Amino acid sequence: MAQERSSGLAGVQAVIPLVLGYFPIAFSFGVAATRSGLSPFEAFSLSLIVFAGAAQFLAIALLASGAPVLVAGLTLAAMNLRHVLYGPTLLQRAGDHRATRWGWLWAFALTDEVFGAALGAMAKGQRFSETFMVILGFGAYAAWLAGTVAGAWAGGGALDAWPAVGAGLDFMLPALFLALLLSILTARQVPAIVMAAAATVLGTWYGSATLGLFAGMIAGALVGLFGRKAGGTDAV
Amino acid sequence: MRFDVLELALIAGGLTYLWRYVPLRLSLGDMPKDGILARFLAATGPAAIATLFVAEMLPMVHDTQAVQGRAGVGVLAVILAFAWRKSVVFATLAGACACGAAAALGLW
Repeated sequence: MAQERSSGLAGVQAVIPLVLGYFPIAFSFGVAATRSGLSPFEAFSLSLIVFAGAAQFLAIALLASGAPVLVAGLTLAAMNLRHVLYGPTLLQRAGDHRATRWGWLWAFALTDEVFGAALGAMAKGQRFSETFMVILGFGAYAAWLAGTVAGAWAGGGALDAWPAVGAGLDFMLPALFLALLLSILTARQVPAIVMAAAATVLGTWYGSATLGLFAGMIAGALVGLFGRKAGGTDAV
Repeated sequence: MRFDVLELALIAGGLTYLWRYVPLRLSLGDMPKDGILARFLAATGPAAIATLFVAEMLPMVHDTQAVQGRAGVGVLAVILAFAWRKSVVFATLAGACACGAAAALGLW
């Protein structure tokens, strides 16, 4: 019981950065969605059902371009295929504390940022628990929904008079990814990170943004196969 | 609500949920820590986040000098803020604020 309370508290502490980061990003998603012609309810529904930030921004573009729904849906799903590796990675890090009884619940909210935050917390000594994962995931989900509603309610022209605010919000997502990357950075991971970055650039330049995402993640992860054996942290 | 939006959300959301949940049921967490798959997965997290960061930055690199400049300010602010406080939220907000401030001041 005390352990669960401790995990819950740790989850609340870990989710605060995600809430503060997610809300403004979701706000800009709500604004962008209504600007492209979606109703506020449609914008909210995308956040409610999909809950995948980058894919949702891409969904707006695909809907606006008139892409066939099945093709667009499969494109978004393919873009999120990287999530296949997140659960097993966390469980592998969890060691003896791994548990999946409530996996059907917390897996729903296993986004890039939630995964990164969980990984970062575990790297700092946080013990894996499903309570921790549920609070982390659904705290982020609540912030994402609230931000979407606020942005959709504000409307498509909300940031037109505030270009500097728009520029700051546009940078929120890359800033969040960079901060997450710094939080889990170790010397051992540098080759994988460099390879991922290079493959992303090449895949995007010579193929497409989606190919770049796949190339980066697969190339970076493959470097792990040829790296040193696991064991230390080698923090940078 | 338009049916095509709902249909798109259900296809993308349903499959995304399967990507996130099904691997948990396959007991992939039971693998040896020094095994090939374990090392592959250990590198996946940093690789995925690095990939997403680069993918987000690439359009800015190819944008106008003003966008490039404020993105550079934002990146620098994130690194400095994280080095100072070791906080993801502080670094994220510092980066966004610095980027917005650079735009407001018209530094480029």
